[in-house]
Amino acid sequence: MVSTYIPKTLEEALIIRKETGARPLSGGTDLMVQYRRGIGVTPKFPWPIMIVSNLKELIGINETPDGSLCIGSATTSSEIAASPLVPWHVREASSRMGAISLRNLATIGGNIGNASPKGDLPATLILLDASVVLASVEGERTVLLDDFIYGAKKTLLQDDEIITKIIIPKPARPFTYRWYRKIGTRRANAITKLSLSAAITIDEKGVITDFRASSGAAGPKIARNKALEATLIGKNVEDIPSLLPSFLADYDKIISPHAMPEYRRTSTKRMLEYFLTEVSKRPSGEIIE
Amino acid sequence: MAKMPIETAVRRSDAIAKASGTQKYLSDMTFEGMLYSRMVRSSIPRGIIKNIEVPSLPEGYYFISHKDIPPEGKNELWMIAKDWKCFAENEVRYVGETIGLLVGPDRNVLANLLDDLIITYEEHEPAISIEEGLACKGGAFVNDTNIFCELEIKTGDEMDEVFNRADRVFEETYRTGFQEHVHLETNSVACVQEDDAFVIYASAQCPFYIRKSIAGLLNIPYDKIIVRQTTTGGAFGGKEHFPDVLAGPLLVAVNTIGKPIQMVFDRSEDMEFSVKRHPSRTIIKTALDDKGAILGMDIDVVYNVGGYLSCSFVVLQRGVFHATGCYGIPSTRIHGRGVATNTFPSDAFRGFGAPQTLFAIERHMDHLANFLGRDPLELRNEYLLKKGSLTNTNGHVYEEVKLPEMIKQITDASDYWRKAKEYGRGTGKGIGIALYNHGGAFTGNGEQMIIKGHARLHKHSDGTVDILVGSTEMGQGFQTALRKIAAQVLDLDLHMINYDNPDTSKVPDSGPTAASRSTMIVGKLVERAALLMKKRYDSEEDFHVEVEYEHPEGFPWDQNTFQGDAYLGYGWGAAVVEVEVDALTSEVETKGIWVSHDVGHPIDELLIRGQVNGGVIQSLGYASMEKMENKKGYFKQNSMSDYIIPTSMDFPKMESFLVDNPYEFGPFGAKGMGELVFNGADAAFCEAVSRAIDRRICEIPIPPETIVELEIHGN
Amino acid sequence: METKIDFTLNGQQVSVTTDPLRRLLDVIREDFGLTGTKEGCGEGECGACSVLKDGKIITTCMVPIGAVGGSDIVTIDGLKETEQGKTIIEAFADGGAVQCGFCIPGMVMAAEDLLRSNPHPSEDEIRKGISGNICRCTGYDLIVESIALASERGDGLW
Ligand SMILES: Cc1cc2nc3c(=O)[nH]c(=O)nc-3n(C[C@H](O)[C@H](O)[C@H](O)COP(=O)(O)OP(=O)(O)OC[C@H]3O[C@@H](n4cnc5c(N)ncnc54)[C@H](O)[C@@H]3O)c2cc1C
Ligand code: FES
Ligand code: FES
Repeated sequence: MVSTYIPKTLEEALIIRKETGARPLSGGTDLMVQYRRGIGVTPKFPWPIMIVSNLKELIGINETPDGSLCIGSATTSSEIAASPLVPWHVREASSRMGAISLRNLATIGGNIGNASPKGDLPATLILLDASVVLASVEGERTVLLDDFIYGAKKTLLQDDEIITKIIIPKPARPFTYRWYRKIGTRRANAITKLSLSAAITIDEKGVITDFRASSGAAGPKIARNKALEATLIGKNVEDIPSLLPSFLADYDKIISPHAMPEYRRTSTKRMLEYFLTEVSKRPSGEIIE
Repeated sequence: MAKMPIETAVRRSDAIAKASGTQKYLSDMTFEGMLYSRMVRSSIPRGIIKNIEVPSLPEGYYFISHKDIPPEGKNELWMIAKDWKCFAENEVRYVGETIGLLVGPDRNVLANLLDDLIITYEEHEPAISIEEGLACKGGAFVNDTNIFCELEIKTGDEMDEVFNRADRVFEETYRTGFQEHVHLETNSVACVQEDDAFVIYASAQCPFYIRKSIAGLLNIPYDKIIVRQTTTGGAFGGKEHFPDVLAGPLLVAVNTIGKPIQMVFDRSEDMEFSVKRHPSRTIIKTALDDKGAILGMDIDVVYNVGGYLSCSFVVLQRGVFHATGCYGIPSTRIHGRGVATNTFPSDAFRGFGAPQTLFAIERHMDHLANFLGRDPLELRNEYLLKKGSLTNTNGHVYEEVKLPEMIKQITDASDYWRKAKEYGRGTGKGIGIALYNHGGAFTGNGEQMIIKGHARLHKHSDGTVDILVGSTEMGQGFQTALRKIAAQVLDLDLHMINYDNPDTSKVPDSGPTAASRSTMIVGKLVERAALLMKKRYDSEEDFHVEVEYEHPEGFPWDQNTFQGDAYLGYGWGAAVVEVEVDALTSEVETKGIWVSHDVGHPIDELLIRGQVNGGVIQSLGYASMEKMENKKGYFKQNSMSDYIIPTSMDFPKMESFLVDNPYEFGPFGAKGMGELVFNGADAAFCEAVSRAIDRRICEIPIPPETIVELEIHGN
Repeated sequence: METKIDFTLNGQQVSVTTDPLRRLLDVIREDFGLTGTKEGCGEGECGACSVLKDGKIITTCMVPIGAVGGSDIVTIDGLKETEQGKTIIEAFADGGAVQCGFCIPGMVMAAEDLLRSNPHPSEDEIRKGISGNICRCTGYDLIVESIALASERGDGLW
């Protein structure tokens, strides 16, 4: 039987991690399910495990002096969905994960650590240029989430590291319009088939100063392309209709050609087209539905 | 007791214990010295077992296989056919076929042993789809043709002649997929020895089936096997024959080891390695005259049976007999085949073969109407069966058909005509209607010839009465319904009537709990027994009465030619479904569901609402989201997150109507309804989607991915 | 590697010494014999194994017992003894919410969790509140109505 640890402090956890290579188990909603072996049978893991869900240092949501938001890695989706501090996109994504009972267990650190292309939080966090803070007995480092998750189920996590927090920087100016849509396998309690998160900032003159879009479950990795986003930045919002066809054609290329290509491409194209067209009409609300 | 009409809802007798968690299901029970077991299964779809390398077993652990069947026993499970083996010996025909059991006290150790057990095979090329089965891919493995079973029925003129006369012909192919039961309680069975008998505890629909099926393994008389049904957490047909597949190996194991053994499938086993609804392909070819009137229909039905026959021929017969739905067609020819493939054997599932062909005929009527430029409901109305109409087996419709009244109820409530016109086609909004029926009880004279059910009532000196029948409660409310029938006849309070889960050593065989026969047939037996008891109730202390099934006169049937009255009566249904298809994501939102059913006279309005609601939602799941694909012999969806069934958010509250149409041969005028309610909402849903996107839909399920494909590429 | 874990179970202080990776579900059912909590899927999908942990609903098939130390766990076997639990159970029985019953203890837990945060939920809120609990028998309408009935009858309880 491999060893299991229940550290009481982060410091203790980091030492155990260093010395035994034990994997963090947070909510367990990925690990316990993936390694289950039947009724009345204890899940069997190929490595030692340490349970981190109760580590106080990893729980909580607070604003930092520079205005960024800091979310502890063992904070649950329910807590995130309920916090007014959390940016809208992340709250929306949190509140649509699984069902209530899952959201009370599932953590943001686990969602990132699992690095599934279907994970709902990374898609919105990457949209917001979030970073992860990785701690080890040697110290801390901060990595852009978009770099940290580099493929399906692949992260830059080192054998002695633990994700401790997620930092979401405050955008230069508040977004003018926002979009989030999760297409699940059914209307509730559903894994994501495709998601689209988007945001746009427009200045007083009607010039687009910020535009971002990220697609979840559309390939091995959350699809976001800053170069492509930049093609809209600096343009006037009134020009969107004329820019749309070529923009949509280029966006199409960032979606993986594998698995359900027709559905993913068509729905993504329709959603982006709809969002940008609505935006060009300058409606009064901030959220486009 | 102040007599209330029978239909007045009562509180179910099992509700409190179940809701408070005190009701024990099989997995909640333990027996002195109980061992656990895990099934060792074939990991390939077709081939020959070359070697089984069993890891060294710790003290107290066992590997059980066909070698443990005693010489006097036979390695076969006797379902309807006897082809399904208890343990594979040589040949394996599907992924998941039972090869052996690992038995022992600790489930963690068993899981490790299972990981370490290695089976080597000579692999053969499998046939998976209906087409591959028909083409005998990899060589036929049943009857040189892979055709397990076949039948043809005809009415009216010869088909060649009908099609010669035709002005136009309309032909389409319809397909339905696998469907998994997902009873919330997985398959669970235990076997223990009691005195000189083996006792099988089973979450099951048909205790007497199990006894018959497994006795031959040890070649022992039926009374040496006692089957006790445990409270069953859903079945839907999935626990009609399939518990035999667990009980058989357990019986052999207990005979060898001499200790109680339990087997409870976990969900992934239940998903991957249990029976499913038969996938189907139905081709309907309709001959039309120059005015667009239907001259005849030529229908070809193929069901994917899987590796063993089990009850599939009976399922296929029901499919064939329902292939013309609620319509009287002047000339018909219906050819049905069950094809062998290397998939898990298909088996009973609510509707028992009828939903597949009813889906086909309902889609056909819609598309035919469109082809003729007519309204689909008007076209249907022209061909509706009526009392006395000829059926497709040259029998007659016995009862008054109240479909016109039912159609009016749901078209009024849903504002169907206005919406149908307003939404038109391709607007993203759609409304659809479907009609359906379900023949009650066993086919033809099966109740008389095959089953001959019995029911017994026992009065105790304290005045309480036990109902002794082999029929089972699996959630449908049958225990409550039967108790109501007896109480009403005997003029007793409901609490004076007891009805426990059956034990084959204590109750007479009243036939399986299947085919929507329980209320109609067994309920009637109990009503008759209660009438007999009533005469003696006041004068006698402790006595019992027993009755045997009597077949009503005037329902001729020939099981060799399939001619005559296929059923003693039908339940009827009509459903309207309204949808909106999301313009961006093609997700379908169901906006409304209206249904009406003729179940004779209702025994309990609340029980009926529960059955209607559950059945209709299952049917809508079947149509919209329940996709189970078999790739190279393996089910791709093996968990509840991959194979999704409806949640409380997927469909809105439905409006449900009943028509009162007392059935002469049922208790208090009731007839069967458990399956009927599954038979039509799927087609109504498809028609609604079809109108919303202006495309023909001939196949279910229809997930958003398929809708997008249809939108882009057309039909 | 066995570890001693202390927690509160249905109001009682309890302790188990066991493998910390065993599922809370198995510990509840087997070590404490509280079989009212059911296993429908073992993968977090169906809600049959729901209990309240520190007042919030969770599915016990995904929780290792090692994560439970110091928590307050309430199962159906505890809830059924409370006024709230009785009110929901009675309403389920009267409203025809129970068929095969296997999903129902979990549904009752979900109803309790919902009514605690929202004592007078609308139909839509009820549907949302139980959307993590799969029922294959009922089609949900009668469960939804029964929860509304419980909310009405238990006015002031939550
Ligand atoms: C029924 C069901 C429904 C689901 N629905 C959704 C859904 O809608 N959307 C969605 O995105 N996901 C969903 N999931 C997946 C899962 O719940 C999420 O990925 C969840 O966020 C995982 O968090 P956890 O804390 O439970 O992870 P765990 O299982 O504890 O861990 C997951 C991975 O992250 C690693 N990890 C955890 N914490 C840390 C840390 N601090 N540092 C480094 N690595 C760490 C672990 O080692 C492991 O590799 C669902 C799962 C289930 C069972
Ligand atoms: S058994 Fe835990 S959610 Fe299904
Ligand atoms: S009552 Fe059977 S699953 Fe809900």
